[in-house]
Amino acid sequence: MARLPDKSSRFILISVFVFCSSFLFLDFRFNTFKPIQDFYNSSSIFIKVFSKQVIFSPIYNSASSLVNSRSIKEENEKLKAELNYQLIKNYIVSNKSIINKNIFFGEVDIKKINSLLIPSKVVSFDVNQYFCCDKHRIFLMPEIEDNVNSFKVLINSEGIIGQTVKINKNLFEAILLSDKDHIIPIQDENNFYCEAKGLGVPKKIFCDIDLTLGANSFEENQRFLTSGLGGVFPKGVEIGNISEIKELSNREVRIIIELIADPLSSNFFGVLK
Amino acid sequence: MKISEFAFLTVIFVAFSTIDLKVNAFLFDYLIISNFTYLFLCYLSFRNPQKINSFFGAYIGLMIDLHQNIFFGLHASLFTLTILIINYNYFRLRMFSSLQITIAFSFFVGFFVGFKSILLATMNFQYLVVFLSFFFAFISYLLIPSIGKFLIQKTNI
Repeated sequence: MARLPDKSSRFILISVFVFCSSFLFLDFRFNTFKPIQDFYNSSSIFIKVFSKQVIFSPIYNSASSLVNSRSIKEENEKLKAELNYQLIKNYIVSNKSIINKNIFFGEVDIKKINSLLIPSKVVSFDVNQYFCCDKHRIFLMPEIEDNVNSFKVLINSEGIIGQTVKINKNLFEAILLSDKDHIIPIQDENNFYCEAKGLGVPKKIFCDIDLTLGANSFEENQRFLTSGLGGVFPKGVEIGNISEIKELSNREVRIIIELIADPLSSNFFGVLK
Repeated sequence: MKISEFAFLTVIFVAFSTIDLKVNAFLFDYLIISNFTYLFLCYLSFRNPQKINSFFGAYIGLMIDLHQNIFFGLHASLFTLTILIINYNYFRLRMFSSLQITIAFSFFVGFFVGFKSILLATMNFQYLVVFLSFFFAFISYLLIPSIGKFLIQKTNI
């Protein structure tokens, strides 16, 4: 047995490792420590936003007011937010099917867009994790005082981005469609249905298709729409096009779909009630 | 270890973790993952195994897991495992030259990156990332001892 430079026994060294590994297993398998991470995230975001609004912004604003640009900047930000909101509304108007909830419920009046949409702003987006890893999440804050519950559709001016997970009254998390744990039921124009999973790569989802179940032909750039079967996403909204078809075996192919909507295109999103 | 040293090291590790995140955002296109945090831990553990023990590794690991918002216990278990390996092979490693130590720690980084990638980017695991990260770690570890000495010069670590 090797001598140890540390006075602590081998048993302690190994038991700490086993203890940490059990933490990892519990979190990986059952998401046991999600509430702790949510608490940490919401606290750090609160501190970040609070310090920005109460400490840094006043200092920055007072400095910039010296050159009389404060009001112009505020107006610019206001106009930007308004423009983003209008772009999302335009998207809804041109894709009316997005507010038709899903196939189980009736149609919703398009004139009530304002009451259907909760404008929200990004407060934290780990772009590094978005590009490197499977976990694609955004933390958002509603711009109006309204509760954002879980399983609501998140959109931007380009299309569907993901769905929401409630954290607390002022903060919610959004799982992007490309997240490895996200599944969205989709269909093509020939009424072929599949459940697309996030690929863990920006703007990519995939479907594994068993060819023995029926003769289906796929080609690149083929359009895919939401099927509305999950009860979360509305039916008939264009989601993306096939970018790649991979043959997994003689009986199975994987189609990779490139999503239309890019979450990095804007900091402003809308949640459909 | 004094509480002040403990707090100081926590701040340094969180700062290194932030630097890693920022650097990785740029290096991702080149399939490289930087691991200054991990290399710094290896350096400290090798420099003072009495103070940088597995409890410290677990604590720092859990802090980084929270900070990076990834699976709770991932860094903690890998850090404690690394400290365990360094402790078990301490006297063997002491006989190594600086170059051999650098290569050994770069191998550790390779394992660390590989294990992390399997859990965090299951669908997109690439051996090239592990391979290139090994070389990046080799280059990084040429700087880490000097940076480490500078950072902890006023502590008793």
